[in-house]
Amino acid sequence: MIENFLDPEFFSSIARLTTPILLAALGGLICHRAGVFNIALEGFILLGAFMAVLGSYLGDSAFWGALSAILGGIFLAIVFSEFHLRRRGDPIVVSIAINLLGLGLSTYLLRSIFDVSGVFSHPNIHKLATINWPLLDSFWLLDLIFNDQSILFYIAILSTIAFHYFLKYHKIGLWIRVAGENQEALRSSGSNPVQVKFFALLICGIFCGLAGAQLSISNVGLFVENMSAGRGWIAVVVVLLCAGRPIPLFFLIILFGVVDSLSLRIQGLGLPQQITEMMPYIVSILVLVFVSFRRFRFSSKTHL
Amino acid sequence: MHVSLRGITVDFGNLRAVDKVSLEANAGEIHAVVGENGAGKSTIMSVLYGSNTDFSGKILCNGKKVSWSSPKDAIKAGIGMVHQHFMLVGNLTVLENIALGNESINQFGFIKFNTIRANILGIVSRYKIHIDLDELVDNLSVAQRQIVEIIKLLYRESMVLILDEPTAVLTPNERAIFFQSLKNFKAENKTIILITHKIDEVMDIADHVTVLRNGKLISSSQLEITNKEKISQEIVGEEIPRLNIKRGAYESKKILDVKDLIIKTNFTTKQAINFSINTGEIIGIAGVSGNGQTELVETLIGIRRASNGEINLLDKNVINANTQTRRMMGISFVPQDRQRDGLALGASVWENACITKVNDKKFSWGSFLRKKNMKAFSRSLIQEFNIKVNGPDALVRTMSGGNMQKLVVARELSSQCPLIIVENPTWGIDIGSIAFIHQKIMDIKSAGVAILLVSNELDEITSLSDGAFVMYEGTLSKRISKGKNFRELIGRHMLSGFNTYYSPTGSSPNE
Ligand SMILES: Nc1ncnc2c1ncn2[C@@H]1O[C@H](COP(=O)(O)OP(=O)(O)O)[C@@H](O)[C@H]1O
Ligand SMILES: [Mg+2]
Repeated sequence: MIENFLDPEFFSSIARLTTPILLAALGGLICHRAGVFNIALEGFILLGAFMAVLGSYLGDSAFWGALSAILGGIFLAIVFSEFHLRRRGDPIVVSIAINLLGLGLSTYLLRSIFDVSGVFSHPNIHKLATINWPLLDSFWLLDLIFNDQSILFYIAILSTIAFHYFLKYHKIGLWIRVAGENQEALRSSGSNPVQVKFFALLICGIFCGLAGAQLSISNVGLFVENMSAGRGWIAVVVVLLCAGRPIPLFFLIILFGVVDSLSLRIQGLGLPQQITEMMPYIVSILVLVFVSFRRFRFSSKTHL
Repeated sequence: MHVSLRGITVDFGNLRAVDKVSLEANAGEIHAVVGENGAGKSTIMSVLYGSNTDFSGKILCNGKKVSWSSPKDAIKAGIGMVHQHFMLVGNLTVLENIALGNESINQFGFIKFNTIRANILGIVSRYKIHIDLDELVDNLSVAQRQIVEIIKLLYRESMVLILDEPTAVLTPNERAIFFQSLKNFKAENKTIILITHKIDEVMDIADHVTVLRNGKLISSSQLEITNKEKISQEIVGEEIPRLNIKRGAYESKKILDVKDLIIKTNFTTKQAINFSINTGEIIGIAGVSGNGQTELVETLIGIRRASNGEINLLDKNVINANTQTRRMMGISFVPQDRQRDGLALGASVWENACITKVNDKKFSWGSFLRKKNMKAFSRSLIQEFNIKVNGPDALVRTMSGGNMQKLVVARELSSQCPLIIVENPTWGIDIGSIAFIHQKIMDIKSAGVAILLVSNELDEITSLSDGAFVMYEGTLSKRISKGKNFRELIGRHMLSGFNTYYSPTGSSPNE
């Protein structure tokens, strides 16, 4: 039975399941820290996934796929900025609109450009390169987890570390933190909070675009309508759970991936699918309860 | 640097906040700008600092006309400002806050925190300032926050320092240190613009004084050729009324009785606190801020749990009751930080005025609010307390600090509770309003309300209270009764605690 659980596929699937969520969550994290309430990650990812397939198909290479996914994300980031930052629309309303726009636009373009509905796959869709580190071949577990993953997997891990240092020690990272905490202080120090927030949204667009590319042109080379399937929402939740800190975010997503992977296995043991699919969410809620319980304990002020 | 403002006019909608005001400040001079709350002091300074660009008139620096599109331009030109409400980010360290806006960076844009730290440590030692650069600003006292704001300006090498009511939040001791720094800056030929309400400070330290009233320039002259009485009259526009004390008819009984209360503070000594307040009595709690007064108040109103003891309100122990219950049982409370604890800034005046009264039959039917009555009530408060605002629908955010405070005081004093706790009720507000609020406190006292007055202002304690305690490092002194030496005893306890007390006249310290 233990072999059932710990087969090689179990470990390699963790990276596959978590990479898109991690990329999107990094984008969401920057927005969160900059004080932009962006819960449109789902829409961003979906359009990114479609654009990746489109770019890869038309440009005949995965590079164009990734680039066009980024452009898709940036496009939605600009739409978000126009309505939220410039026209001061409510971020929740704007997010909902963009989630619907991502779904509608990708579905519409799929039908009008490729004349298919549901699924589009084509030999001309090039997949992202995978990287093999010969050094790791002899370490069973490391080999399974870190070898032969798409290039975006490595970018996601490096970005997590980069984001940590960027927020802590970079000038713009500092501005982003201030924009999220006290806009007036930022304005008074001579920077424009709106520009800083716009920058954060662009980063978010880029990373969500890449998350989309990871979904559609990394392991598979196809686009399915609504293929983001809630990953953007998971990313939103994870960002809020870890209060926008990159390193805890990383580990939380790994935990999520492990549980998700496990739940697939448990399903194999005959538990109803409806129950196993709840597992990652139940674990999230438990973590949330645990985190807020500790916060509660540490605060000396009890009832307000 | 010589700065001059010529004919500045600022409008907010149909309200003219500043009306053709001109002002000249010289290098090596402390230029005081005084005026009541809402006189337009902060507004005209925001013009000089570039945070308000919607004005008419001219700004000149060293005789050359300049125009700012944002504070960035003003900062570059050497102008720095400490705002009335600090522009600090609580979740950042002192170091990060100071670096913000003047980050020295490497070629990749990363901040050279080590260089900045060394630079700040140089400034800090030059002016003999004590501050921990790695502490979060959230954990600092108000006085320490102010120091951070000032280091910010020094770090940017500002030549013009605009200080918007910097002393409003300082204790007498801290103020003396602060004034010494100002003199040092002046000796370094910096231009200092000091906004304040306190005439004594002007007389102490300023070289030049400009008076504003209702957005208009009333006078601007060297200190030598004017005097205290003249300035006071120019600020208020009339004479300040004297405190009017009368005694009403009420039955004398114990309202609040605190027994063996142990509060949670950061101090190591945990001494039981005992005191009581009767009807029509004002008990003062004096002390340098940060000695546990806030913790005591929070414990009394139920925001903070006590470790032990009794809080008897009208003979009922409320130690386990929550804040709402205590309020309903008859405690009313004026918090020190009106913006954080007293008001919802984004809500309207009427909503704020009635927030503590929603259970009152007059203001609600079951769970529905009676908006009309609420607005009418707010209108009467605005009138009675002379609050300067555009009517009950205006947002609280648009009011000046003093008027915000008046609104909180108005709401709490009108609650008709048997006990009211007021914490620094005149923090950062002008002399006219101070006299007014003091009179209101005396009025409810004479109606029989028991009042706990927590204040860092020695004068406030001595002129209002019937008896006082001093709080020092989390413990409370014995009761000091009103009489001769009242002021002197309190002052000495505030600075040096109670144990090492030495009385020159040989009398017991607590008589
Ligand atoms: N942003 C704003 N919107 C509307 N009115 C304002 C705003 N800022 C200040 N005011 C009004 O302008 C007047 C002057 O305010 P202010 O300069 O803050 O006074 P002071 O600093 O002298 O106490 C006040 O009546 C205030 O209510
Ligand atoms: Mg002001």
